[in-house]
Amino acid sequence: MIGRRTVLRAGGWAAGLALLGLPPPAQAEGVAEEVVEIRMRGNADGSAVWFDPVGVLVEPGQTIRWINVDPGNSHTSTAYHPANGDHPLRIPEGAAPWDSDYLLPDQSFDLRLTVAGVYDYFCLPHEEAGMVGRIVVGHPQGGPSAATLPEAARQRLPSPEDIVRRKSVRIG
Amino acid sequence: MLIRTILIAGAFAMAAVPAQAQSVEKAPPGGTYKKVSELVKLPDFLPGMGTLYVDPATLPAGPFLAYDHDGRLASTIYMIPVEDIQGQKKFDNLKAAGGKVDHVDMYFNAGHPGVEKPHYHVVLWHIATADEARVAK
Repeated sequence: MIGRRTVLRAGGWAAGLALLGLPPPAQAEGVAEEVVEIRMRGNADGSAVWFDPVGVLVEPGQTIRWINVDPGNSHTSTAYHPANGDHPLRIPEGAAPWDSDYLLPDQSFDLRLTVAGVYDYFCLPHEEAGMVGRIVVGHPQGGPSAATLPEAARQRLPSPEDIVRRKSVRIG
Repeated sequence: MLIRTILIAGAFAMAAVPAQAQSVEKAPPGGTYKKVSELVKLPDFLPGMGTLYVDPATLPAGPFLAYDHDGRLASTIYMIPVEDIQGQKKFDNLKAAGGKVDHVDMYFNAGHPGVEKPHYHVVLWHIATADEARVAK
């Protein structure tokens, strides 16, 4: 099982192709075209940071877009994977890890996940503060154990079952 | 815990009446200070704080010098990791280059590039409370 990822920055490649007068790439057959947006948020004094929504359900190949809407901070979307700072593996076996690098305010990062399963990710400078998120691709059974998560992150993540049921889970 | 934290803040405030304040009143402060946004990926101007400069050798505690949009010094900020407070770590002889202190704020911050661990901002304001709007956004 091999994952495929597409990394797009600052507005996305489709927008870039449009600017060049080129047509957008064809969607894979059966893949939902709606982009799922996840906003990177923080409050005014930086005392709280979070992904919004914290849990989303997507179809395999659907585009997920993280947007930093926090004017006073930088954020990342980084997969729980040994390739990312020796973090524990919390994405499906064989799926490729990702790391958006730091996104400044108003910058974005696009990703497509094709391997069904449960994906956990975090923000590099804010993992200890509990800035984590979960993506469910398709309709898998179960998910990774919470045992390898920092306590603040463990409290944030909704269960895969809850995400499948609600499709989008927000904090608060 | 709270008392210890307040004592730390008080110590900072008392120390922050230096003789060499003039050299840093306008940005850039020069010397070993570097603009934070050129050291790590952060916005140039941070709402609520301003444009920050720090001597990298003093990280994570600082001091960070914070300037308004016109390059006027607004505050000196120390960033103290929560784990260091809980561990009763001693911070001794932190530089206080910013001049007269009007008032002090302390608040929790979840972290950011440069100081990733959750920490407290100890803000020595060199301007009046009413003038904090200069760095609000």
